[in-house]
Amino acid sequence: MQDRPTAPELLDALAAMLFAEVREWVPRERRFQILVAANVCAVVARELRAGDEPSLADLALFRELLGREPAEPPVADPAGEARAAATDLGAALRAGELDPRLDDAIAGLRDHVRRKLEIARPGYSEDS
Amino acid sequence: MAEPPEQASLREALGEALGEDPGELTLEHVPGGASRETWLVAAGERRWVLRRDPPGGESFAPLATEVEVSGAAAEVGVPVPPVVTFEDEGGRFGTAGYLMDHVEGTSVAPRVLRRDELAGARERLTVQLGSALAGIHSLSPGELPSLPALEGDPALAACEFWERALDEIGEPLPVVEAGLRWLRLNAPPAPDRVTLVHGDFRLGNLIVDEQGLAAVIDWELCHAGDPAEDIGWLCIRSWRFGNDDLPAAGVGTLDELLVAYDAAGGIRPGPERLRWWEALGNVKWAVICARQADDHLSGRRPSAELASLGRRICEPEWDLLELIG
Repeated sequence: MQDRPTAPELLDALAAMLFAEVREWVPRERRFQILVAANVCAVVARELRAGDEPSLADLALFRELLGREPAEPPVADPAGEARAAATDLGAALRAGELDPRLDDAIAGLRDHVRRKLEIARPGYSEDS
Repeated sequence: MAEPPEQASLREALGEALGEDPGELTLEHVPGGASRETWLVAAGERRWVLRRDPPGGESFAPLATEVEVSGAAAEVGVPVPPVVTFEDEGGRFGTAGYLMDHVEGTSVAPRVLRRDELAGARERLTVQLGSALAGIHSLSPGELPSLPALEGDPALAACEFWERALDEIGEPLPVVEAGLRWLRLNAPPAPDRVTLVHGDFRLGNLIVDEQGLAAVIDWELCHAGDPAEDIGWLCIRSWRFGNDDLPAAGVGTLDELLVAYDAAGGIRPGPERLRWWEALGNVKWAVICARQADDHLSGRRPSAELASLGRRICEPEWDLLELIG
């Protein structure tokens, strides 16, 4: 156990400091880098808060699109297994194996992208 | 940090091209640029830009091709920085490179879209973009001996190019794979004519001043292809920088762009062809984001900024699925 603040709370504080304070005294031409830094803090904080849920949902989606049975819980390494399934799914798509249900795959993958956007760029999928 | 080119030989080459010694030069490295080095060269009040290959670097179109192609574009009225002199590999710039006139203005897209002093430029820009594209697309690959010939169909060649680029990174991106598969299965028929394509036509590669478009730069990705490719790429949501209702680079509507393009002699592509190339554009931007993140991860170019682009892949992925879903 670590003392408070938690990891995402620390990142929130850091993002706020970069965005509200440091940005002011950085030369105008270099402010972009401060925004990159503040944004990375915010992304990582959201990812820590979300935990394993997005990876487990992606793993289930990729296995379903591949025509496989759901993974047996508990999944020891959700991010690693989702990544391995993503590799298989990419190869199957490239080989044309999913052509008969490509529209279903495209529709299903929207949820995967939505989960990434919720961490990396909240609101992006609602704006368009 | 890049090593500057040798000062004395640069001065000699510049003096030879100008017909007079420019005097003492100062050199300033301009950051950015995926695979080319850019140097701001100054002598008193006069300024030039040196663009050259990094030592040991490889790039898509050789610099000699860039010089030929941008020169041909200038002849048909496309604004480009005039080339002062070119030196091949092993010449006076060290690696292959060329000096061009410095063009005042900005190529930082959010500035073009937001700064008050560029409000007048924004009024004119969409029409200027349409005309410049029509000029570029009036050039036939046959008139450009250094431009590699197109092998096969331009749409399928583009799919293959970006599949290969994705394979080199080795990052699993099933959304991009689904997009590429859809693109292959729904490729448009061959275009009316195959033309010169700039390959990276967006605000980041244009210089804009208070009068509007001052120069089209960065011809590194130029190739022979379907002219609709440049229009689709210019219109992807990522290049609108938040002005989502203005598909033409965040400054104009698609119709304004296409009317100007048509008026300047371009062949207006149909909506399905444009949608296809806009989808391909999102594939391309997703792969480029992945490659830039990989440049950091592999240690080739350690940079937090490049690293953070890995988490932007999902933006063009979303836009891709919106276009093909």
